[in-house]
Amino acid sequence: MGDEKIISGKKNFILSGVSVLILMGLLFPLFWIIVTSLKTEQEIFQIPPTLFPKIINLKSYAAQLGTGDFNMFRSFANSMIIALGSMVLAVVLAVPASYGIAKYNFKGRKVMLLGFMVTQMLPVSVLLTPMFIMFRNMHTYNTPIAAILADTTIGIPFSVLILKNYFASIPKELEEAAYIDGCNRFTAFVRVLIPIAKPGVIVCAIFSFLYAWGDLAYGMTFIIDQQKRPITAGIFNFMGQYGTKWSYLTAFAVVTIIPVALIFIFMQKYIISGMTSGAVKG
Amino acid sequence: MLKIRKFFRYDNIGLVFVLPAFIYMLVFVGYPIISNIILSFQNVTVKNLVAGSKEFVGLKNYQDLFQDTVFVNAIFNTLLFTVSCLVIQFIIGFALAVFFNQNFRLSKAIRGLLMMPWMIPITVTGLIFKFIFGTDVGVLNFALQSMGLIQNNIEWLTTPGTAMLAVIFANIWIGIPFNMILISTGLTTIPQELYESASIDGAGKLQKFIRITVPLLKPTIESVLILGFIYTFKVFDLVYVMTSGGPVNSTHMLSTYSYKLSFEMFKYSMGSAVANVLFLILLGVSMLYLRTTTKEEA
Repeated sequence: MGDEKIISGKKNFILSGVSVLILMGLLFPLFWIIVTSLKTEQEIFQIPPTLFPKIINLKSYAAQLGTGDFNMFRSFANSMIIALGSMVLAVVLAVPASYGIAKYNFKGRKVMLLGFMVTQMLPVSVLLTPMFIMFRNMHTYNTPIAAILADTTIGIPFSVLILKNYFASIPKELEEAAYIDGCNRFTAFVRVLIPIAKPGVIVCAIFSFLYAWGDLAYGMTFIIDQQKRPITAGIFNFMGQYGTKWSYLTAFAVVTIIPVALIFIFMQKYIISGMTSGAVKG
Repeated sequence: MLKIRKFFRYDNIGLVFVLPAFIYMLVFVGYPIISNIILSFQNVTVKNLVAGSKEFVGLKNYQDLFQDTVFVNAIFNTLLFTVSCLVIQFIIGFALAVFFNQNFRLSKAIRGLLMMPWMIPITVTGLIFKFIFGTDVGVLNFALQSMGLIQNNIEWLTTPGTAMLAVIFANIWIGIPFNMILISTGLTTIPQELYESASIDGAGKLQKFIRITVPLLKPTIESVLILGFIYTFKVFDLVYVMTSGGPVNSTHMLSTYSYKLSFEMFKYSMGSAVANVLFLILLGVSMLYLRTTTKEEA
Protein backbone atom coordinates (compact mmCIF):
# COMPACT_ATOMS: atom_id res chain seq x y z
CA MET A 1 0.00 0.00 0.00
CA GLY A 2 0.92 3.60 -0.46
CA ASP A 3 3.50 2.86 -3.12
CA GLU A 4 4.97 6.16 -4.19
CA LYS A 5 5.98 5.04 -7.65
CA ILE A 6 3.37 5.10 -10.35
CA ILE A 7 2.13 1.66 -11.26
CA SER A 8 2.32 0.90 -14.96
CA GLY A 9 2.08 -1.94 -17.43
CA LYS A 10 -0.09 -4.98 -16.84
CA LYS A 11 -0.75 -4.21 -13.19
CA ASN A 12 -1.96 -0.73 -14.05
CA PHE A 13 -4.29 -2.24 -16.62
CA ILE A 14 -5.81 -4.70 -14.15
CA LEU A 15 -6.17 -2.16 -11.32
CA SER A 16 -7.75 0.40 -13.64
CA GLY A 17 -10.17 -2.24 -14.90
CA VAL A 18 -11.18 -3.19 -11.37
CA SER A 19 -11.62 0.44 -10.40
CA VAL A 20 -13.93 1.05 -13.36
CA LEU A 21 -16.04 -1.92 -12.24
CA ILE A 22 -16.21 -0.49 -8.71
CA LEU A 23 -17.27 2.85 -10.14
CA MET A 24 -19.99 1.29 -12.26
CA GLY A 25 -21.29 -0.69 -9.31
CA LEU A 26 -21.36 2.17 -6.86
CA LEU A 27 -22.77 4.77 -9.23
CA PHE A 28 -25.34 2.45 -10.80
CA PRO A 29 -28.22 3.96 -8.76
CA LEU A 30 -27.45 7.38 -10.23
CA PHE A 31 -27.18 6.04 -13.75
CA TRP A 32 -30.44 4.20 -13.22
CA ILE A 33 -32.58 7.23 -12.36
CA ILE A 34 -31.13 9.27 -15.20
CA VAL A 35 -31.98 6.50 -17.66
CA THR A 36 -35.40 6.02 -16.11
CA SER A 37 -36.21 9.71 -16.40
CA LEU A 38 -35.76 9.40 -20.16
CA LYS A 39 -38.07 6.42 -20.58
CA THR A 40 -41.80 6.37 -21.16
CA GLU A 41 -44.04 5.20 -18.33
CA GLN A 42 -44.72 1.87 -20.11
CA GLU A 43 -41.05 1.21 -20.67
CA ILE A 44 -40.28 1.77 -16.98
CA PHE A 45 -42.65 -1.03 -15.99
CA GLN A 46 -41.47 -3.35 -18.73
CA ILE A 47 -39.93 -6.72 -17.80
CA PRO A 48 -37.08 -7.29 -18.41
CA PRO A 49 -36.11 -3.66 -17.84
CA THR A 50 -34.15 -1.95 -20.59
CA LEU A 51 -30.66 -0.66 -19.79
CA PHE A 52 -31.08 2.30 -22.15
CA PRO A 53 -34.30 3.94 -23.29
CA LYS A 54 -35.48 2.75 -26.73
CA ILE A 55 -36.36 6.31 -27.69
CA ILE A 56 -35.21 9.29 -25.64
CA ASN A 57 -38.41 10.60 -24.10
CA LEU A 58 -38.21 14.14 -22.74
CA LYS A 59 -41.91 14.36 -21.93
CA SER A 60 -41.38 13.81 -18.21
CA TYR A 61 -39.27 16.96 -18.12
CA ALA A 62 -41.35 19.07 -20.47
CA ALA A 63 -44.64 18.24 -18.76
CA GLN A 64 -43.44 19.51 -15.40
CA LEU A 65 -41.66 22.63 -16.53
CA GLY A 66 -44.29 25.27 -16.76
CA THR A 67 -47.57 24.06 -15.39
CA GLY A 68 -49.36 22.30 -12.61
CA ASP A 69 -49.07 22.12 -8.91
CA PHE A 70 -45.70 20.39 -9.09
CA ASN A 71 -44.00 22.98 -11.20
CA MET A 72 -40.39 21.86 -11.38
CA PHE A 73 -39.08 25.18 -12.57
CA ARG A 74 -40.68 27.10 -9.72
CA SER A 75 -39.49 24.61 -7.10
CA PHE A 76 -36.02 24.90 -8.56
CA ALA A 77 -36.12 28.69 -8.34
CA ASN A 78 -37.40 28.52 -4.75
CA SER A 79 -34.52 26.27 -3.78
CA MET A 80 -32.07 28.56 -5.54
CA ILE A 81 -33.30 31.57 -3.57
CA ILE A 82 -33.11 29.68 -0.29
CA ALA A 83 -29.70 28.13 -0.95
CA LEU A 84 -28.09 31.32 -2.25
CA GLY A 85 -29.59 33.39 0.56
CA SER A 86 -28.36 30.98 3.17
CA MET A 87 -24.94 30.80 1.53
CA VAL A 88 -24.48 34.57 1.57
CA LEU A 89 -25.68 34.90 5.14
CA ALA A 90 -23.46 32.08 6.39
CA VAL A 91 -20.36 33.41 4.64
CA VAL A 92 -20.90 37.02 5.73
CA LEU A 93 -21.23 35.95 9.36
CA ALA A 94 -18.73 33.09 9.45
CA VAL A 95 -15.74 34.72 7.73
CA PRO A 96 -15.19 37.45 10.34
CA ALA A 97 -16.06 35.06 13.16
CA SER A 98 -13.47 32.51 12.11
CA TYR A 99 -10.85 35.26 11.79
CA GLY A 100 -11.66 36.51 15.28
CA ILE A 101 -11.39 33.03 16.73
CA ALA A 102 -8.16 32.24 14.89
CA LYS A 103 -6.26 35.43 15.62
CA TYR A 104 -7.43 36.87 18.95
CA ASN A 105 -7.32 35.36 22.37
CA PHE A 106 -10.26 37.18 23.95
CA LYS A 107 -12.24 36.10 26.98
CA GLY A 108 -14.82 33.46 26.20
CA ARG A 109 -13.07 32.36 23.01
CA LYS A 110 -12.96 28.72 24.06
CA VAL A 111 -16.62 28.67 25.08
CA MET A 112 -17.66 30.14 21.75
CA LEU A 113 -15.52 27.67 19.83
CA LEU A 114 -17.06 24.83 21.80
CA GLY A 115 -20.48 26.27 21.04
CA PHE A 116 -19.85 26.17 17.29
CA MET A 117 -18.53 22.62 17.56
CA VAL A 118 -21.52 21.33 19.48
CA THR A 119 -24.10 22.92 17.17
CA GLN A 120 -22.56 21.05 14.27
CA MET A 121 -23.70 17.83 15.88
CA LEU A 122 -27.24 18.91 16.72
CA PRO A 123 -30.11 16.88 15.29
CA VAL A 124 -32.69 19.01 13.45
CA SER A 125 -35.41 17.41 15.57
CA VAL A 126 -34.37 19.50 18.58
CA LEU A 127 -34.74 22.77 16.70
CA LEU A 128 -37.83 22.12 14.59
CA THR A 129 -40.68 22.84 17.00
CA PRO A 130 -39.11 25.86 18.75
CA MET A 131 -38.16 27.35 15.38
CA PHE A 132 -41.65 26.63 14.09
CA ILE A 133 -43.14 28.64 16.97
CA MET A 134 -40.51 31.35 16.60
CA PHE A 135 -41.08 31.81 12.87
CA ARG A 136 -44.82 31.99 13.40
CA ASN A 137 -44.33 34.76 15.92
CA MET A 138 -41.86 36.53 13.63
CA HIS A 139 -44.35 36.27 10.72
CA THR A 140 -41.71 34.60 8.59
CA TYR A 141 -43.49 31.23 8.67
CA ASN A 142 -44.34 30.01 5.17
CA THR A 143 -41.80 32.34 3.54
CA PRO A 144 -38.35 31.54 2.13
CA ILE A 145 -36.84 33.66 4.92
CA ALA A 146 -37.72 30.98 7.48
CA ALA A 147 -35.87 28.33 5.50
CA ILE A 148 -32.91 30.66 4.91
CA LEU A 149 -32.61 31.51 8.60
CA ALA A 150 -32.84 27.85 9.61
CA ASP A 151 -30.44 26.51 6.97
CA THR A 152 -27.83 29.09 7.91
CA THR A 153 -27.51 27.49 11.34
CA ILE A 154 -25.89 24.52 9.57
CA GLY A 155 -23.60 26.62 7.37
CA ILE A 156 -22.19 28.91 10.06
CA PRO A 157 -20.59 26.40 12.44
CA PHE A 158 -19.20 24.36 9.58
CA SER A 159 -17.68 27.44 7.95
CA VAL A 160 -16.25 28.85 11.18
CA LEU A 161 -14.46 25.63 12.00
CA ILE A 162 -13.01 25.23 8.50
CA LEU A 163 -11.95 28.84 8.02
CA LYS A 164 -10.43 29.16 11.47
CA ASN A 165 -7.69 26.81 10.27
CA TYR A 166 -7.08 28.87 7.14
CA PHE A 167 -6.74 32.12 9.09
CA ALA A 168 -4.59 30.50 11.76
CA SER A 169 -2.10 29.39 9.10
CA ILE A 170 -1.56 32.92 7.76
CA PRO A 171 1.71 34.28 9.24
CA LYS A 172 1.45 37.27 11.58
CA GLU A 173 4.05 39.17 9.54
CA LEU A 174 1.64 39.62 6.65
CA GLU A 175 -0.88 41.29 8.92
CA GLU A 176 1.79 43.46 10.53
CA ALA A 177 3.05 44.56 7.13
CA ALA A 178 -0.47 45.70 6.33
CA TYR A 179 -0.59 47.79 9.51
CA ILE A 180 2.67 49.47 8.56
CA ASP A 181 1.16 50.27 5.17
CA GLY A 182 -1.58 52.16 7.00
CA CYS A 183 -4.29 49.53 7.33
CA ASN A 184 -6.27 49.19 10.54
CA ARG A 185 -7.64 45.89 11.88
CA PHE A 186 -10.67 45.97 9.62
CA THR A 187 -9.09 47.11 6.38
CA ALA A 188 -6.23 44.64 6.88
CA PHE A 189 -8.82 41.90 7.33
CA VAL A 190 -10.73 42.84 4.20
CA ARG A 191 -7.84 43.71 1.89
CA VAL A 192 -5.12 41.32 3.00
CA LEU A 193 -6.46 38.37 4.96
CA ILE A 194 -9.65 37.51 3.13
CA PRO A 195 -7.92 37.33 -0.27
CA ILE A 196 -5.35 34.91 1.18
CA ALA A 197 -8.03 32.75 2.75
CA LYS A 198 -10.07 32.76 -0.46
CA PRO A 199 -9.89 28.99 -1.12
CA GLY A 200 -11.31 28.43 2.35
CA VAL A 201 -14.06 30.97 1.76
CA ILE A 202 -15.00 29.13 -1.43
CA VAL A 203 -15.18 25.82 0.45
CA CYS A 204 -17.52 27.42 2.99
CA ALA A 205 -19.70 28.98 0.32
CA ILE A 206 -20.03 25.67 -1.51
CA PHE A 207 -20.90 23.69 1.58
CA SER A 208 -23.35 26.27 2.90
CA PHE A 209 -25.06 26.19 -0.48
CA LEU A 210 -25.13 22.40 -0.60
CA TYR A 211 -26.50 22.04 2.92
CA ALA A 212 -29.34 24.40 2.15
CA TRP A 213 -29.97 22.87 -1.28
CA GLY A 214 -30.24 19.39 0.20
CA ASP A 215 -32.33 20.29 3.21
CA LEU A 216 -35.73 18.68 3.51
CA ALA A 217 -36.76 18.99 7.17
CA TYR A 218 -36.70 22.80 7.42
CA GLY A 219 -38.13 23.41 3.97
CA MET A 220 -41.14 21.17 4.43
CA THR A 221 -41.84 22.19 8.03
CA PHE A 222 -41.58 25.95 7.72
CA ILE A 223 -43.04 26.36 4.23
CA ILE A 224 -46.42 24.76 3.62
CA ASP A 225 -47.58 26.14 0.27
CA GLN A 226 -46.44 23.87 -2.54
CA GLN A 227 -45.82 26.95 -4.72
CA LYS A 228 -43.27 28.29 -2.25
CA ARG A 229 -41.58 25.06 -1.28
CA PRO A 230 -38.00 24.12 -2.19
CA ILE A 231 -37.44 21.35 -4.69
CA THR A 232 -36.67 18.65 -2.10
CA ALA A 233 -39.97 19.23 -0.35
CA GLY A 234 -41.62 19.37 -3.77
CA ILE A 235 -40.36 15.89 -4.58
CA PHE A 236 -41.53 14.64 -1.22
CA ASN A 237 -45.03 16.01 -1.79
CA PHE A 238 -45.12 14.58 -5.26
CA MET A 239 -44.14 11.13 -3.96
CA GLY A 240 -46.99 11.31 -1.49
CA GLN A 241 -49.56 12.14 -4.16
CA TYR A 242 -48.38 10.29 -7.25
CA GLY A 243 -46.13 7.66 -5.68
CA THR A 244 -45.83 5.48 -8.75
CA LYS A 245 -45.41 8.07 -11.47
CA TRP A 246 -41.74 7.20 -11.70
CA SER A 247 -41.08 8.93 -15.01
CA TYR A 248 -42.02 12.30 -13.50
CA LEU A 249 -40.41 11.56 -10.15
CA THR A 250 -37.06 10.57 -11.60
CA ALA A 251 -37.06 13.62 -13.88
CA PHE A 252 -37.71 15.77 -10.83
CA ALA A 253 -34.82 14.06 -9.05
CA VAL A 254 -32.41 14.54 -11.94
CA VAL A 255 -33.19 18.25 -12.04
CA THR A 256 -32.46 18.46 -8.31
CA ILE A 257 -29.05 16.90 -8.86
CA ILE A 258 -28.01 19.26 -11.68
CA PRO A 259 -26.57 22.12 -9.56
CA VAL A 260 -24.84 19.60 -7.31
CA ALA A 261 -23.32 17.84 -10.31
CA LEU A 262 -22.09 21.14 -11.75
CA ILE A 263 -20.46 22.12 -8.47
CA PHE A 264 -19.00 18.67 -8.27
CA ILE A 265 -17.52 18.78 -11.76
CA PHE A 266 -16.02 22.25 -11.54
CA MET A 267 -15.04 22.45 -7.89
CA GLN A 268 -14.13 18.94 -6.86
CA LYS A 269 -10.89 19.86 -5.11
CA TYR A 270 -12.73 22.27 -2.83
CA ILE A 271 -15.24 19.61 -1.89
CA ILE A 272 -12.66 17.04 -0.92
CA SER A 273 -10.73 19.62 1.07
CA GLY A 274 -13.94 20.67 2.82
CA MET A 275 -14.89 17.13 3.71
CA THR A 276 -11.51 16.18 5.09
CA SER A 277 -10.57 19.34 6.95
CA GLY A 278 -14.06 19.81 8.30
CA ALA A 279 -14.28 16.34 9.66
CA VAL A 280 -10.79 15.53 10.79
CA LYS A 281 -10.02 18.79 12.49
CA GLY A 282 -13.62 19.03 13.69
CA MET B 1 -16.06 55.67 26.66
CA LEU B 2 -12.41 55.39 27.52
CA LYS B 3 -13.12 52.14 29.30
CA ILE B 4 -14.79 50.74 26.20
CA ARG B 5 -11.85 51.74 24.03
CA LYS B 6 -9.46 50.14 26.47
CA PHE B 7 -11.51 46.95 26.48
CA PHE B 8 -11.36 46.66 22.71
CA ARG B 9 -7.64 47.25 22.38
CA TYR B 10 -5.59 44.05 21.83
CA ASP B 11 -7.30 40.69 21.97
CA ASN B 12 -10.80 41.74 22.83
CA ILE B 13 -11.19 43.30 19.41
CA GLY B 14 -11.66 39.71 18.27
CA LEU B 15 -15.08 39.82 19.90
CA VAL B 16 -16.24 42.38 17.36
CA PHE B 17 -15.58 39.84 14.62
CA VAL B 18 -17.06 36.84 16.38
CA LEU B 19 -20.14 38.31 18.02
CA PRO B 20 -22.44 38.67 14.97
CA ALA B 21 -22.18 34.96 14.15
CA PHE B 22 -22.28 33.97 17.79
CA ILE B 23 -25.39 36.00 18.50
CA TYR B 24 -27.03 34.56 15.40
CA MET B 25 -26.36 31.07 16.73
CA LEU B 26 -27.62 32.01 20.18
CA VAL B 27 -30.90 33.26 18.75
CA PHE B 28 -31.54 30.48 16.24
CA VAL B 29 -29.91 27.53 18.00
CA GLY B 30 -29.27 28.35 21.65
CA TYR B 31 -32.74 29.69 22.34
CA PRO B 32 -34.51 26.81 20.54
CA ILE B 33 -32.52 24.25 22.54
CA ILE B 34 -33.66 25.83 25.81
CA SER B 35 -37.21 26.28 24.65
CA ASN B 36 -37.33 22.69 23.44
CA ILE B 37 -36.39 21.55 26.92
CA ILE B 38 -39.10 23.73 28.46
CA LEU B 39 -41.59 22.52 25.86
CA SER B 40 -40.94 18.90 26.85
CA PHE B 41 -42.03 19.66 30.43
CA GLN B 42 -45.26 21.28 29.29
CA ASN B 43 -48.38 20.03 27.64
CA VAL B 44 -48.38 21.81 24.31
CA THR B 45 -50.63 20.63 21.51
CA VAL B 46 -52.12 22.39 18.52
CA LYS B 47 -54.63 24.14 20.81
CA ASN B 48 -52.20 26.09 22.96
CA LEU B 49 -49.19 26.27 20.62
CA VAL B 50 -49.24 29.96 19.82
CA ALA B 51 -51.63 31.38 22.39
CA GLY B 52 -53.15 30.04 25.57
CA SER B 53 -51.69 28.83 28.82
CA LYS B 54 -49.12 26.09 28.75
CA GLU B 55 -49.50 23.73 31.65
CA PHE B 56 -46.37 22.47 33.40
CA VAL B 57 -46.54 18.70 33.63
CA GLY B 58 -43.08 17.83 34.97
CA LEU B 59 -41.62 14.57 33.78
CA LYS B 60 -44.97 13.20 32.60
CA ASN B 61 -44.08 13.30 28.90
CA TYR B 62 -40.91 11.35 29.50
CA GLN B 63 -42.71 8.83 31.69
CA ASP B 64 -45.34 8.37 29.01
CA LEU B 65 -42.67 7.87 26.40
CA PHE B 66 -41.03 5.00 28.17
CA GLN B 67 -44.44 3.28 28.31
CA ASP B 68 -44.77 3.78 24.57
CA THR B 69 -43.58 0.73 22.63
CA VAL B 70 -43.06 2.74 19.45
CA PHE B 71 -40.61 4.98 21.29
CA VAL B 72 -38.74 2.10 22.91
CA ASN B 73 -38.55 0.40 19.52
CA ALA B 74 -37.36 3.64 17.95
CA ILE B 75 -34.38 3.71 20.30
CA PHE B 76 -33.62 0.12 19.40
CA ASN B 77 -34.10 0.82 15.67
CA THR B 78 -31.86 3.86 15.74
CA LEU B 79 -29.10 1.86 17.42
CA LEU B 80 -29.47 -1.09 15.06
CA PHE B 81 -29.49 1.23 12.06
CA THR B 82 -26.48 3.20 13.26
CA VAL B 83 -24.30 0.26 14.21
CA SER B 84 -25.08 -1.71 11.03
CA CYS B 85 -24.35 1.26 8.80
CA LEU B 86 -21.23 2.20 10.70
CA VAL B 87 -19.63 -1.24 10.57
CA ILE B 88 -20.40 -1.97 6.93
CA GLN B 89 -19.60 1.46 5.50
CA PHE B 90 -16.38 1.56 7.48
CA ILE B 91 -15.19 -1.80 6.16
CA ILE B 92 -16.08 -0.97 2.55
CA GLY B 93 -14.72 2.58 2.84
CA PHE B 94 -11.48 1.32 4.34
CA ALA B 95 -11.04 -1.30 1.62
CA LEU B 96 -11.67 1.28 -1.11
CA ALA B 97 -9.29 3.77 0.49
CA VAL B 98 -6.51 1.18 0.54
CA PHE B 99 -7.32 0.15 -3.01
CA PHE B 100 -7.30 3.69 -4.39
CA ASN B 101 -4.18 4.55 -2.44
CA GLN B 102 -2.29 2.52 -5.02
CA ASN B 103 -0.87 4.81 -7.62
CA PHE B 104 -2.40 3.47 -10.83
CA ARG B 105 -3.40 5.79 -13.59
CA LEU B 106 -7.11 6.18 -12.92
CA SER B 107 -6.92 6.09 -9.12
CA LYS B 108 -7.38 9.78 -8.32
CA ALA B 109 -10.00 10.45 -10.97
CA ILE B 110 -12.21 7.52 -10.03
CA ARG B 111 -11.87 8.09 -6.31
CA GLY B 112 -13.08 11.63 -6.97
CA LEU B 113 -16.13 10.40 -8.87
CA LEU B 114 -17.01 8.04 -6.04
CA MET B 115 -17.73 11.07 -3.83
CA MET B 116 -20.92 11.71 -5.76
CA PRO B 117 -23.31 9.65 -3.56
CA TRP B 118 -22.30 11.69 -0.55
CA MET B 119 -23.14 14.96 -2.22
CA ILE B 120 -26.53 14.51 -3.76
CA PRO B 121 -29.51 15.67 -1.70
CA ILE B 122 -30.67 12.89 0.61
CA THR B 123 -34.25 13.32 -0.55
CA VAL B 124 -33.09 12.26 -4.01
CA THR B 125 -31.16 9.33 -2.57
CA GLY B 126 -34.30 8.25 -0.75
CA LEU B 127 -36.27 8.44 -3.98
CA ILE B 128 -33.63 6.47 -5.91
CA PHE B 129 -33.65 3.61 -3.43
CA LYS B 130 -37.39 3.63 -3.09
CA PHE B 131 -37.42 3.04 -6.84
CA ILE B 132 -34.72 0.37 -6.80
CA PHE B 133 -36.38 -1.48 -3.90
CA GLY B 134 -39.82 -1.16 -5.49
CA THR B 135 -41.86 -4.35 -5.57
CA ASP B 136 -42.87 -4.56 -9.22
CA VAL B 137 -40.89 -1.73 -10.75
CA GLY B 138 -37.68 -2.28 -8.77
CA VAL B 139 -34.58 -3.44 -10.54
CA LEU B 140 -33.37 -5.30 -7.44
CA ASN B 141 -36.24 -7.78 -7.49
CA PHE B 142 -35.68 -8.29 -11.19
CA ALA B 143 -31.97 -8.95 -10.65
CA LEU B 144 -32.60 -11.39 -7.79
CA GLN B 145 -35.24 -13.23 -9.81
CA SER B 146 -33.11 -13.58 -12.89
CA MET B 147 -30.29 -14.95 -10.76
CA GLY B 148 -32.77 -17.45 -9.37
CA LEU B 149 -32.33 -16.27 -5.79
CA ILE B 150 -36.01 -15.51 -5.23
CA GLN B 151 -39.21 -16.92 -6.68
CA ASN B 152 -41.65 -14.05 -6.12
CA ASN B 153 -41.06 -10.35 -5.85
CA ILE B 154 -40.19 -9.23 -2.34
CA GLU B 155 -42.19 -6.31 -0.97
CA TRP B 156 -39.09 -4.70 0.47
CA LEU B 157 -40.51 -1.44 1.75
CA THR B 158 -43.86 -2.70 2.94
CA THR B 159 -42.61 -5.64 5.03
CA PRO B 160 -41.25 -4.75 8.48
CA GLY B 161 -37.90 -6.58 8.50
CA THR B 162 -36.90 -5.91 4.91
CA ALA B 163 -37.81 -2.22 5.10
CA MET B 164 -35.11 -1.76 7.71
CA LEU B 165 -32.65 -3.60 5.48
CA ALA B 166 -33.48 -1.27 2.61
CA VAL B 167 -32.92 1.95 4.58
CA ILE B 168 -29.67 0.58 6.00
CA PHE B 169 -28.55 -0.31 2.49
CA ALA B 170 -29.33 3.19 1.18
CA ASN B 171 -27.55 4.87 4.06
CA ILE B 172 -24.44 2.76 3.59
CA TRP B 173 -24.37 3.98 0.00
CA ILE B 174 -24.21 7.55 1.29
CA GLY B 175 -21.67 6.74 3.99
CA ILE B 176 -19.06 4.87 1.94
CA PRO B 177 -17.51 7.98 0.27
CA PHE B 178 -17.30 9.77 3.60
CA ASN B 179 -15.39 6.89 5.18
CA MET B 180 -13.25 6.35 2.10
CA ILE B 181 -12.07 9.93 1.74
CA LEU B 182 -11.23 10.43 5.41
CA ILE B 183 -9.28 7.19 5.59
CA SER B 184 -7.55 8.05 2.30
CA THR B 185 -6.37 11.31 3.80
CA GLY B 186 -5.19 9.45 6.89
CA LEU B 187 -3.23 7.00 4.74
CA THR B 188 -1.29 9.76 2.99
CA THR B 189 0.06 10.98 6.34
CA ILE B 190 1.86 7.69 7.01
CA PRO B 191 5.53 8.14 6.09
CA GLN B 192 6.61 5.95 3.19
CA GLU B 193 9.93 5.08 4.83
CA LEU B 194 8.15 3.03 7.47
CA TYR B 195 6.88 0.61 4.85
CA GLU B 196 10.25 0.52 3.13
CA SER B 197 12.19 -0.31 6.26
CA ALA B 198 9.57 -2.89 7.21
CA SER B 199 10.08 -4.51 3.81
CA ILE B 200 13.80 -4.66 4.43
CA ASP B 201 13.11 -6.37 7.73
CA GLY B 202 11.12 -8.95 5.80
CA ALA B 203 7.57 -7.92 6.73
CA GLY B 204 4.78 -9.15 4.47
CA LYS B 205 1.83 -7.09 3.22
CA LEU B 206 -0.53 -8.25 5.94
CA GLN B 207 2.05 -7.65 8.66
CA LYS B 208 2.68 -4.13 7.40
CA PHE B 209 -1.03 -3.47 7.43
CA ILE B 210 -1.52 -4.70 11.00
CA ARG B 211 1.70 -3.31 12.46
CA ILE B 212 1.99 0.03 10.63
CA THR B 213 -1.23 1.10 8.90
CA VAL B 214 -3.75 0.32 11.62
CA PRO B 215 -1.85 1.76 14.63
CA LEU B 216 -0.87 4.94 12.79
CA LEU B 217 -4.41 5.42 11.52
CA LYS B 218 -5.91 5.12 14.99
CA PRO B 219 -6.74 8.85 15.39
CA THR B 220 -8.35 8.91 11.93
CA ILE B 221 -10.32 5.74 12.62
CA GLU B 222 -11.56 7.18 15.90
CA SER B 223 -12.85 10.37 14.36
CA VAL B 224 -14.38 8.56 11.36
CA LEU B 225 -16.32 6.25 13.66
CA ILE B 226 -17.44 8.88 16.15
CA LEU B 227 -18.44 11.39 13.46
CA GLY B 228 -20.11 8.57 11.54
CA PHE B 229 -22.07 7.66 14.65
CA ILE B 230 -23.26 11.23 15.12
CA TYR B 231 -24.28 11.70 11.48
CA THR B 232 -26.00 8.33 11.28
CA PHE B 233 -27.74 8.47 14.63
CA LYS B 234 -29.57 11.67 13.73
CA VAL B 235 -30.71 10.35 10.34
CA PHE B 236 -33.99 11.89 9.30
CA ASP B 237 -34.50 12.71 5.61
CA LEU B 238 -33.58 9.32 4.24
CA VAL B 239 -35.91 7.31 6.46
CA TYR B 240 -38.67 9.87 6.22
CA VAL B 241 -38.58 9.79 2.42
CA MET B 242 -38.22 6.01 2.05
CA THR B 243 -40.64 4.70 4.68
CA SER B 244 -41.82 7.59 6.92
CA GLY B 245 -41.22 5.19 9.81
CA GLY B 246 -43.48 2.48 8.44
CA PRO B 247 -44.61 -0.19 7.80
CA VAL B 248 -46.32 -0.47 11.22
CA ASN B 249 -43.70 1.78 12.82
CA SER B 250 -40.97 -0.77 12.12
CA THR B 251 -38.43 1.75 10.79
CA HIS B 252 -39.14 4.64 13.12
CA MET B 253 -35.96 6.32 14.28
CA LEU B 254 -35.92 8.78 17.18
CA SER B 255 -35.87 11.66 14.68
CA THR B 256 -38.73 10.44 12.52
CA TYR B 257 -40.87 9.54 15.52
CA SER B 258 -40.24 12.96 17.02
CA TYR B 259 -41.34 14.51 13.74
CA LYS B 260 -44.44 12.36 13.56
CA LEU B 261 -45.48 13.26 17.10
CA SER B 262 -44.95 16.98 16.54
CA PHE B 263 -46.00 17.61 12.97
CA GLU B 264 -48.41 14.81 12.10
CA MET B 265 -50.09 14.22 15.46
CA PHE B 266 -49.50 17.77 16.76
CA LYS B 267 -48.34 16.54 20.17
CA TYR B 268 -45.56 19.10 20.23
CA SER B 269 -44.43 18.43 23.79
CA MET B 270 -44.15 14.70 23.23
CA GLY B 271 -42.18 15.28 20.04
CA SER B 272 -39.86 17.62 21.92
CA ALA B 273 -39.27 15.03 24.61
CA VAL B 274 -38.23 12.45 21.99
CA ALA B 275 -35.93 15.01 20.38
CA ASN B 276 -34.33 15.70 23.75
CA VAL B 277 -33.58 12.03 24.30
CA LEU B 278 -31.92 11.98 20.89
CA PHE B 279 -30.04 15.16 21.74
CA LEU B 280 -28.83 13.82 25.07
CA ILE B 281 -27.38 10.69 23.47
CA LEU B 282 -25.65 12.74 20.75
CA LEU B 283 -24.30 15.19 23.29
CA GLY B 284 -22.67 12.35 25.18
CA VAL B 285 -21.01 11.03 22.05
CA SER B 286 -20.00 14.55 20.96
CA MET B 287 -18.24 15.13 24.25
CA LEU B 288 -16.29 11.96 23.66
CA TYR B 289 -15.35 13.26 20.22
CA LEU B 290 -14.37 16.71 21.45
CA ARG B 291 -12.18 15.17 24.13
CA THR B 292 -10.22 13.29 21.49
CA THR B 293 -9.87 16.23 19.07
CA THR B 294 -9.40 19.21 21.37
CA LYS B 295 -6.21 17.63 22.65
CA GLU B 296 -4.59 18.65 19.36
CA GLU B 297 -6.52 21.91 19.00
CA ALA B 298 -5.53 24.09 21.95
